[in-house]
Amino acid sequence: MSAAAPNSSAFEYQTADCWEEAIKLRALWGEGAKLIAGGQSLVPMINLRLAMPAALIDLNPIVSSGPWLDQGELVIPAMTRHRAVLDSPLVATHFPMLAKAVGLVGNVRVRNRGTIGGSVSHADPTGEIPCVVLAAGGRIVVQGPSGMRSVPADDFFLTYLTTATDLDEVVTEIRLPVAGDQDGWGFDEVTRRFSDFATVEVAVSARSRASEEIPELRVVLGGVADRPLLLGEDILEPFRRLGADPQAIDEVAQNAANSISPESDVHASADYRRRLTQVLTRRSLAQAVGLG
Amino acid sequence: MTEVLPDAPDVGSLPRTGETYNIVGTSPAHHDFIEKVKGSLLYAADWRLPGMLHAKLVRSQIASGRITRIDTSAALALPGVVAVLTAEDVPYNQIVENASGGLGEVTVSQPVLAADRVRYAGEPIAVVAATEPEIAAEAVDLVEVTYEETPGVFDAESALADDAPLVHEEGNVLVNWNIVRGDVENEMAAADVVVEGEYQSQHVEHAYLEPESGVSWLENDVVTLRISTQVIEHATEIAEILEVPESKVRVIASYMGGGFGGKEDMTVEPYLALVTWHTRKPARMVWTRQESMLASTKRHPFLMRYRTGARQDGTIVAQEVEIIGDAGAYPCLSARVLFAGAALACGPYRVPSVRCTSRAVFTNNVPSSAFRGFGAMQVVFGYESQMDQLASKLGISREEVRDRNYYVKGDTIPSGDEITTAVAVTQTRELALQELGEGPPPTASHKRVGRGFGCGMQPYGRTIWFRDHASAWLTLQTDGSLLIRSGVTDLGAGQAASLCQIASEVLGAPLESISVYIGDTALNPPAGGTFATRQLYMSGNAILRASHDLRDQLTGVAEDLLDAADGELAWQGGKVQAGGRSLTLADLAKECQQRGVNTSNLYTWRAPGGKFDPSTGQGGTFPDYTFGTHAAEVEVDLETGQVEVRRYVASHDVGRQINPVRVEGQIQGGAMQGLGYALMEDCPLDEGQAVSTLFANYLIPSSMDMPDIQVAVVESGEGRGPLGARGIGEPPVGPTAATIASAIEDAIGVRPTQLPITPERILKLLDEAGSAGAQTGEEQA
Repeated sequence: MSAAAPNSSAFEYQTADCWEEAIKLRALWGEGAKLIAGGQSLVPMINLRLAMPAALIDLNPIVSSGPWLDQGELVIPAMTRHRAVLDSPLVATHFPMLAKAVGLVGNVRVRNRGTIGGSVSHADPTGEIPCVVLAAGGRIVVQGPSGMRSVPADDFFLTYLTTATDLDEVVTEIRLPVAGDQDGWGFDEVTRRFSDFATVEVAVSARSRASEEIPELRVVLGGVADRPLLLGEDILEPFRRLGADPQAIDEVAQNAANSISPESDVHASADYRRRLTQVLTRRSLAQAVGLG
Repeated sequence: MTEVLPDAPDVGSLPRTGETYNIVGTSPAHHDFIEKVKGSLLYAADWRLPGMLHAKLVRSQIASGRITRIDTSAALALPGVVAVLTAEDVPYNQIVENASGGLGEVTVSQPVLAADRVRYAGEPIAVVAATEPEIAAEAVDLVEVTYEETPGVFDAESALADDAPLVHEEGNVLVNWNIVRGDVENEMAAADVVVEGEYQSQHVEHAYLEPESGVSWLENDVVTLRISTQVIEHATEIAEILEVPESKVRVIASYMGGGFGGKEDMTVEPYLALVTWHTRKPARMVWTRQESMLASTKRHPFLMRYRTGARQDGTIVAQEVEIIGDAGAYPCLSARVLFAGAALACGPYRVPSVRCTSRAVFTNNVPSSAFRGFGAMQVVFGYESQMDQLASKLGISREEVRDRNYYVKGDTIPSGDEITTAVAVTQTRELALQELGEGPPPTASHKRVGRGFGCGMQPYGRTIWFRDHASAWLTLQTDGSLLIRSGVTDLGAGQAASLCQIASEVLGAPLESISVYIGDTALNPPAGGTFATRQLYMSGNAILRASHDLRDQLTGVAEDLLDAADGELAWQGGKVQAGGRSLTLADLAKECQQRGVNTSNLYTWRAPGGKFDPSTGQGGTFPDYTFGTHAAEVEVDLETGQVEVRRYVASHDVGRQINPVRVEGQIQGGAMQGLGYALMEDCPLDEGQAVSTLFANYLIPSSMDMPDIQVAVVESGEGRGPLGARGIGEPPVGPTAATIASAIEDAIGVRPTQLPITPERILKLLDEAGSAGAQTGEEQA
């Protein structure tokens, strides 16, 4: 970093060797503290002074030993690098949607440093990981001074860069229900440039249900609101009416596009985002229900 | 010192037939390559001086307004702040750029530091100098500037309206060029077909890796700057600003981490000079990336309107072109950029009757100025789109319509001067299309594949009325090593290394025995700046002649020592040889010393001059041109509008390659920069305010967005540079946007006319074509 371009403001730096220590340090520093994992979003924000923490608590000494399987869930410790998720045979077998999505996170440098816990905690509304965790119906394990709790992904992402984690809590694990052989999935995104944040992304999980003909669908849109958006039953209604057929897919895609109020920015107008939402919802749904 | 008189024939630029070369045409790893790869090269920001201050600019927050008050007291009170300089502290607060050489633009001066009025967001108002960069940054925030905002104008065409706010009292039109030839009215009326088109390009950032930077100090009372610049000759303007003799300013250029025209105007120079002059202390200034993107010059957005008349067989009879270029708030080099746009508006095609008007218009946007391609590149998108439209209207191939109209050597161009070297544009096209070949089918049912090409013509060398010249100074030392001194600045394109290769070729001195000292107004003979694709042409010719003259100086002694006959000497491998006998250059140099023969040569080469008459729109323009063709295959997603460039070939006639790897590098880099221009790059401004100054939002294609650029070089052997070389710095950026537009049209049936060709714009074109098609269908039904 150039000395003539002073970037970050001054901050204290402390390392945490375990979650308990991280929680203690966090309590010590209070609101002024920022936890740093891979730093792929936080460091640019600090350099642009969009974040001016009094202290950085470095979680990197906490080494991830995952992912692993635990009673029908794929458990990914928060400090697991995207690269490790991408390389994991367990993820490829039990969660191919995550394997695809994590391969689209940033570029190889970002994936080598960035962590899955960092991605869900940062809660960028265009991030691939929050989108997939929500589509998967996963849960996020957080730990604080009063112990551990798990938050369903549905309740976790609140708004821009804001989650249901309390100030004194840290994210320690991501847990995703393992996909069955009959389950389908779809993930698609459009970026203006390779490795950039998605302009729009759509993640679909289609869980087959013994009792019903049509699978349980969870469709999540990224990049079109202040958080990843899980589509409601009203939008998915054509599936109940028509079954998993191309007409239903088209109608759901249209409903999805109509349901959102995305913003315009330098990369894309609101209209274009709406249009992409329709195209990508259609493509991801078709893939998920085997009509792609 | 030897010198060719101004109007002496251009001897030696065209190759002597039958000559073979040992060093020219090879690609050795020069000193610059090695130092850059090792990371040991010192760029401008790497220099540190004992006790130096850190200088930082206070820039205007608004795009148009009056400054009612500047309060520097809080900044000055901050411990560590040494000086806060404003307009009052600038001895001569004017930069006057007569970019056209006085051929018709209004004279408008640009203040070094704005005094009473600001005309663009980012305009410098004060310069702060402090002991630490953090303190300087804090002090900048403490300088309180009070403004009274005034209405601005942010679009060049709007600025032409009678009631438009005036950016300068002299008027909003900086210059209005006319190039007129033949009888456009009658020829257009008699044409079998007329095609019309309107084309738009955008503001583009140079985005060099190395931002504007440098250091300054006083030495023997001389203000000395070591900076990243293409033009050390700005020493003259710095002296004017400080009101000191030119001999009291010295500019040293470090090897640049890119310039592309963005370091052709002054950047940090006047501010560093002012700080050092006022404080008597060394100083350093480095623009942050955000600062560079906010306030550095940009490529001109062009609005181009074309009307082209042709006969049924595709022969063009007349063309009318109107160009409006957004100059931004100050003149910079706009007058010259818009001249190049006018002169090249018809491209590599014979157009007997032409009327071209080209205006540079002031707005309250960030100033536009030089950028690789310099006006001649924007118009490629216009003229090549017209050619494709013509082909489509006449139902003939895109190749055929061009074949009917390509220049040949000896043809007259719209300005009235003549093409004097080979025009190998057909060969470049054939090679490019052959290399491109036929690709695989679309990868999905919602995708379409298209192929296209675009031809371009780019001048090299300055407009000839500037009577350009460059000097080079060669010294053979008594150990046989060779010194080259030249005022050339090195953009990263091998400007210095090429000189070594040419001298080595002529004198036989091994490259490793040559040291080259460049870019210093005090110690080097002037070479002119590195811009306009002029340095190989200018300094290359100078070093070639200096080398020949030095060899001639040494020949008598060598012939004597080797007992050789006239013309028998061979200069190679650090030796002079004749009839099996040889002599090292070291021994030759020592003997020359003994005999009082000069082993140095300082040569000034002057390019042929000429005149242009702006009232008739006729006269001399550029020394020569580089021609080329690019070809591309794209795949377009009809639903998302995304364009993938699957394959890309770029072919240029470079006359003769001095260093093939550097030629290839220039062509690849130019094509890649052109792909960004075609598809992604844009500096969106909202009423003159930069919407974004981050690379996160200014989209430059990454390596993963690019195809491999295949390079196909043609060597016609004819060019005005040394040994028949043509310049290749700017030409490869030209044809890219037209090539991509042509390929997209082939894929989707609609022609993009606005740059960059974003996915949204593709969808808009498809929508318009779809609804037009639907309407036609209804009518037919």
